[in-house]
Amino acid sequence: MPNHTQGLEIRSVVKRFGDLRLFDDLSVAIAPGEFFIILGPSGCGKTTLLRLIAGLETVDGGEIRLNGRPIHDLPAGDRGVAMVFQDFALYPHMTVERNLAFGLRNMQVPATEIDTRIKATAGALAIDGLLARKPATLSGGQKQRVALARALVKKPDLLLLDEPLSSLDPGLRLHTRRELAQLSRSLNATFVMVTHDQVEAMTLASRIMVMHEHRIQQVGTPLEIFTRPANLFVARFVGATPMNVLDGTIAKARNGKADFDLSGHKVHTAITHTSLPAGEGWQVGLRAEHVAITAPSATAIPATVDYVERLGEQSWIHVRLADGREIVANETGISPHQPGDAVGLTLDGARAHLFDAEGRGYHAEPA
Amino acid sequence: MTAVALPGVRGRQLWAWVRIAFCAVMLALVLAPLLWTVFLSFRTNIDLLRQAPLDLHGPYTLDNYAELLRNQTLFRWFFNSLVVSTATVAGVLTLSSLAGYAFGRLEFPGRNWLYLIVLAGLAIPDQSVILTRHQIFSDLHWHNTYRALILPGLSAPLGVFLMTEAFRAIPRAQDDAARLDRANSLATFWHVLLPQTVPALASLGIYTFLLSWNDYWWPLISATRPAMYTLTEGMAAAQSNYVEVLGKGVLMAEAVVAGLPVLIVYILFQKHIVSAVTGMVKL
Amino acid sequence: MIGRLNRQGWPNLLFALPFLLVYGWLLVYPLLAGMGLSLNRANLFGGARFIGFENYIRLFRDATFLQALGNSLLFVVMCVPVLVVLALGLALALNRATRFAAFMRSAVFASSVLSVTVMTIIWRQILAIDGGLLSHGAHAIGLPALPFLSDPNLALPSLAAVTVWWSLGLPMMLFLSALQQVPRSVFEAAALDRATPWTVFRQITLPAITPALVLVTAYECALQFQVFGQPQLLTQGGPNGASRPLVLYIYETGFNQWDIGYAAAASQMLFALILVAAFVPQLAQRLWRRA
Repeated sequence: MPNHTQGLEIRSVVKRFGDLRLFDDLSVAIAPGEFFIILGPSGCGKTTLLRLIAGLETVDGGEIRLNGRPIHDLPAGDRGVAMVFQDFALYPHMTVERNLAFGLRNMQVPATEIDTRIKATAGALAIDGLLARKPATLSGGQKQRVALARALVKKPDLLLLDEPLSSLDPGLRLHTRRELAQLSRSLNATFVMVTHDQVEAMTLASRIMVMHEHRIQQVGTPLEIFTRPANLFVARFVGATPMNVLDGTIAKARNGKADFDLSGHKVHTAITHTSLPAGEGWQVGLRAEHVAITAPSATAIPATVDYVERLGEQSWIHVRLADGREIVANETGISPHQPGDAVGLTLDGARAHLFDAEGRGYHAEPA
Repeated sequence: MTAVALPGVRGRQLWAWVRIAFCAVMLALVLAPLLWTVFLSFRTNIDLLRQAPLDLHGPYTLDNYAELLRNQTLFRWFFNSLVVSTATVAGVLTLSSLAGYAFGRLEFPGRNWLYLIVLAGLAIPDQSVILTRHQIFSDLHWHNTYRALILPGLSAPLGVFLMTEAFRAIPRAQDDAARLDRANSLATFWHVLLPQTVPALASLGIYTFLLSWNDYWWPLISATRPAMYTLTEGMAAAQSNYVEVLGKGVLMAEAVVAGLPVLIVYILFQKHIVSAVTGMVKL
Repeated sequence: MIGRLNRQGWPNLLFALPFLLVYGWLLVYPLLAGMGLSLNRANLFGGARFIGFENYIRLFRDATFLQALGNSLLFVVMCVPVLVVLALGLALALNRATRFAAFMRSAVFASSVLSVTVMTIIWRQILAIDGGLLSHGAHAIGLPALPFLSDPNLALPSLAAVTVWWSLGLPMMLFLSALQQVPRSVFEAAALDRATPWTVFRQITLPAITPALVLVTAYECALQFQVFGQPQLLTQGGPNGASRPLVLYIYETGFNQWDIGYAAAASQMLFALILVAAFVPQLAQRLWRRA
């Protein structure tokens, strides 16, 4: 049965390298106009997936469809996709104009149309002044725009971006991130971007797909990924510091929610106890901003300050529980605490996550 | 503190003097033969035939060079060398860049084995293949032709090695970008990758030119008719019968005239030549 | 069928094919055919007859061949150490960014770009007993002129000296390029440690360029076994074969006497010798390191 779904559809894709099954039955669908980000640590297979979509690698099974058209057997140049490479891969011996024109000429676009398209794209990306220059004379940010222009001038159905910000210096990265966001909104094109930087993913994406060890961990909006991490990996990978994860046992509280026992201290979660499977090996997850540091008291969990990172607008305070486990707390402003201080911890149980022995995450129902 | 430092300083000064003296002696040894040749080329033949020491005050003459201008064969040899060397450079650059692209950039069955076989060829001296190579050209009746002088130079594997390295040094993303730009492997080679190997091509080209220009061994065996001599081979013929033919002064002038073009090429392209000869060490 | 061939990358072989054809035709085939030829009694006018290893046996009973073999070995022993030491000395002295060093490097290498025929014309005017620069010099200080090219004891050393002059540039450049690979900071650290120039050379420079030293030695051995133009033009191998090396022997046997099967056997010996020469320095280095 023909499928006329718009956007990009990856269905049961298999990729092998020798005996290694890199992807086994990997599926995901991306809607038109999305800014879809594949997020994961290096070596998780995210770049390989991007290259499979681009046609720079071939699939060993399954199919890839773009706007309903199967593209997985087509050569890279015939798929209607364009790509921005990590180090831009501009042709160093060609002027910017020739860089943009090269693909169009290979597609037999008439010369007059090549001219119009280059002018329009260069105008949109504010690189009109650079057309006669060679890439070696451009700054990092200019190269980035040219790489984008080279991809967009082909009017692709899908734009792939492979870590496009990683070769820029930090200041420029912030600026370019904003431009990318504006660009995707104004173009209404479909973007698929690969990054290992969770801040990029959180700020740019309409949806994020988290990958780890060649498997999809979770697909969702940035908010979903952050507030309802599907598993421990996602919980630890997304966020400015890894989520605090501590083990203990759960019990049913009087209100039907689950209580987490953290070496004698109860954490009252907002997660319905009956939604949890039976079993041992539970862990509680709490982000640093949901751990508050107070003066030692009978109700607070006693802890000792280990190490304080003061960033100016906020501070990270690493504290140690009596049993030696470490927890990171977040405070706005410059924390007054010093290493060795005895403090109390108050945990915001309503924001806590639970993870079962397999690492699967359970969350409170959204209010 | 000073007392301890002194021996070191003195040692360093001693080394500096040793270095300067060594350089001075080497420079004299290197330049003296060249200057002596130039000096002789400006002396009269009669002057040179006398056994007496040469008087530095002269007489000096340009007759030897004037004689060269009348000598048609020298121009013929020069022309032959130019044809052979230029064609060899063109051939080596073409074959090496194509093969370097294949070995350095593309996948095909048996690639690594073939490359190993090509590299092994670097160890084969021309002298050990000369007899059968001579026979090949005899059977074709190709001796005393330009193609016989050119073809063997194209079988040397050094160029393939240098170009393979050059193609390997280009980032792989360039190929990927070209594929997304719908370029096939020939277009990728010609429009994207080859222009990026220009420095390597220049080094290889100039090195090949000098090698071909200076080759004595193969022309000596293949080109037996004086009209087909290269300049290098011709200079061998000239020196074995100079006394009878033209005289020593003219021979010296010939040496200067034959040596100058390569020295000029060397001075102009020194960087490329050095990078070519040091490039083969990376093996 | 074609699709499968395409997918395996067979069309990519087409890029290498032009070279591979020429390479096979004019290098690999002649090498293998030469090995075959060496097992035949053959002359230029055809009529090859298989005789097994008879040519090789004959070589080892041939006083002329043995003399040539000895000359080649002697020539390499005279040339290579001097070349390596002088080239290394020059490289050490000229590894600096001054104008003089740059000029000196260019001057030393310049002689290498001259053809062997021009080079021998130049050197004949230095070494010739009548009117050579050296005999002029000897007369000037009242010494007798020496017959460098016609004395059996002087001919081969003279050729070696000429060869050193001609070939010094390449090993010097190779050493310089090896020296430039050593990070400057290492030498600066040594200077801060108050190391003497000799200590720096022994402890830092020499270990750093040992691979280059081995490589240059091997390369020069292989190269100098192929010496031909210098003896052919300056001494014609004489007097009495005192300066005739292997390649000149092969040339004369093959192209003057047209005994090509026999000459092919001699050229296989040369090939074997060159392979050994190229590997001995590497082997020596390994043994040295173990010792």
